Amino acid sequence: MTASSPGQSEILAESAPRVTRRRGRGWRTAAVAVVAVCAATALSACGQRPSEIAKSDTGKPIVVGISLPLTGDFAQPGTEAKRGYEVWRDMVNAKGGILGRQVQLKITDDASNQDTVVADYTKLITQDKVDLLLGTFSSLLNYPASAVAEKNGMVFVEPAGGAPKMFERGFKYLFFAQPATAPHQADVFIDWIKSLPEADRPKTAAYPSQDDPFAHPVVESMQKQLEALGVQTVYSSLYPADTTNFQSVASTLASKKPDLIAQGAVFEDGVGLVRALKQLDYSPKILFQTSAPSNAGQYSDGIGPANTEGVFYTVSWNEKASTPLNAEFVAGYKKAYSADPAEDAADAFAAAQVLQAAAEKVGSIDQDKIRDWLHANTVDTILGPLSWEATGEPKGRFLLAQWQSGKVEVVGPADVATTKNVVNPKPGWK
Amino acid sequence: MTHLVQAITLGLLIGGVYALMASGLTLIFGVMRIINIAQGAFLVLVAMLTWWLWHETGIDPILASVVTTPLMFGFGWVVYRLMISRIRGSSASMSVLLTFGFALVIEGVLNVVAGNKFRSATPSYFEESFRVGEISLPKAQVFGFLAAMAVLGALYFVLTRTWTGRAIRAATQNPSGAALVGVGATGTAALAFAIGSATTGVGGSILSVLYPFFPASHYDWISRLLGIVVLGGMGSLPGALAGAAILGLAETLTATYGSLGWSTLVFYVVIMAVLLIRPQGLFGAKLREDAV
Repeated sequence: MTASSPGQSEILAESAPRVTRRRGRGWRTAAVAVVAVCAATALSACGQRPSEIAKSDTGKPIVVGISLPLTGDFAQPGTEAKRGYEVWRDMVNAKGGILGRQVQLKITDDASNQDTVVADYTKLITQDKVDLLLGTFSSLLNYPASAVAEKNGMVFVEPAGGAPKMFERGFKYLFFAQPATAPHQADVFIDWIKSLPEADRPKTAAYPSQDDPFAHPVVESMQKQLEALGVQTVYSSLYPADTTNFQSVASTLASKKPDLIAQGAVFEDGVGLVRALKQLDYSPKILFQTSAPSNAGQYSDGIGPANTEGVFYTVSWNEKASTPLNAEFVAGYKKAYSADPAEDAADAFAAAQVLQAAAEKVGSIDQDKIRDWLHANTVDTILGPLSWEATGEPKGRFLLAQWQSGKVEVVGPADVATTKNVVNPKPGWK
Repeated sequence: MTHLVQAITLGLLIGGVYALMASGLTLIFGVMRIINIAQGAFLVLVAMLTWWLWHETGIDPILASVVTTPLMFGFGWVVYRLMISRIRGSSASMSVLLTFGFALVIEGVLNVVAGNKFRSATPSYFEESFRVGEISLPKAQVFGFLAAMAVLGALYFVLTRTWTGRAIRAATQNPSGAALVGVGATGTAALAFAIGSATTGVGGSILSVLYPFFPASHYDWISRLLGIVVLGGMGSLPGALAGAAILGLAETLTATYGSLGWSTLVFYVVIMAVLLIRPQGLFGAKLREDAV
């Protein structure tokens, strides 16, 4: 699901909220005007960094500024991220806050729009003068948003934005709070394949993928690694985000009969391909999809619960994982929203944990100290331990999950697996 | 060869469903020169309603259109009376603004009421196929296609064989002439808008079975439908059918012989080529106002 959203692709995000763009421009113009006025008059605290102001008012709550896609294409994961942040806030405040100060969230809606997210963070930093920042959702939005934070010297911990280009800019204040970026998400799956006896490994593989900054790098890197292992590629294709009909892909796949189908699937496309394969009655021995299967209920409703059996995916978080505070997070989420927490909420929670840990360790909300501490240390989160390269790219690994008897089990890496049993080969469609 | 036949069959099946979805849009434009951007949102609204009916009662989603079609007819009539009639006589861009705003309202209400998540109706046959020799025909697509053809046939019959239909066509071809011979403009327009909305009753129910959808899905659908209507000729029912078949075939043939990445592009290239040669679209009638 991490993937799901950046997933919806640039095409969608470009075309859909076109109207909001107009509003976005307006906001930006306003923000630019404000900045210009500040610069011209050289008055007031406008130009001050938040941390400098914060020193004087320790009794006040710590305000964390966040912009999230609460409407538009990424509304669903955006709303989950909001819940994750809020569960974190409530847990922190119940335990006395950060550095003895209560935490307040200031969340604005960027309507899944790149212009608006820039305006939002500019306003949060320069006008609202928030003490800390947390990231928004999807690479598409975090890419410009992190540039605003960098320019203003604010630490930017983001929960969902693992596209490689995020980390090619040499940013110093950016931290991605997930265990791995897209090209490394499938590594744990490759490890599992390597663990199989030579004879049981797939001989042929097919790699259909959505042209998505989050889904495609996963299967692209998997294809490279599997080819190095001697798995023959019989099919590889890229399709745009608005593709709805997968019968043609499925019939091509059925005629090539690959042992492994690894799909860079966001959501609808993952469901669409499984349905089409089922209609043609072709079931591969191994089926891997990037993020579609992580949308638990929606995925099993979409393809029928019986057909989920044996489907693999990689994921940053699992409800059953025995990481610190995970059980509290799950309980807190269930209590607040009477629903099972989504991965996106967990990622947001982890991002907030990272920021909290750093602020508490350095004993202040000084942005540069927090940044330096994060670059030098490892933070324990509900996703497991997180640490970063100088670029903000994480150094950890994902979990390999598999649908078994209508439920999700973690099957790798071995030390955190919830079961030793792996369904292989995948049974035929029911 | 099997591949080719398979691709063409699938393309035509899905084209039939597209045609039904586009028919309401083209009908409304034909009579009122109103581009109903909310048509996609109507489809998603019906899909959501159908999903809910299916989920609560277990009624077949496509059969549920027996309930949703009259509902959408009434809905369309009310929407016309309360909103669209206020901008009669204004420029076409007003209708785009108004209906786009309305689409956003529907999306927002669905977000709040139904929640922002993917849904899909999965009756027992949703992933089964008929086999004809080497060719497989997905049942959901076949049923969707048949329902679409039945509705399009009925629509064609009403438009060409009944006085109501003649009134609608008269208002399409020559509004002032129709008014002169006593065809009430407002009544006809309301009726056409209501019928146009009613087509989403079946269209939306098929959508709920064929594709996962969520409140913001309507952007995808309206862009596809506008493409079909522009290609076929705005206001023409046979045009919508032809445009939809071309879109369906472009999608499946490009996906089979080229790459999926090109299929959307191919469709729009066809539109551009057609518009260069026939600016009014394949079946569009050239109106006197266009020549000015």
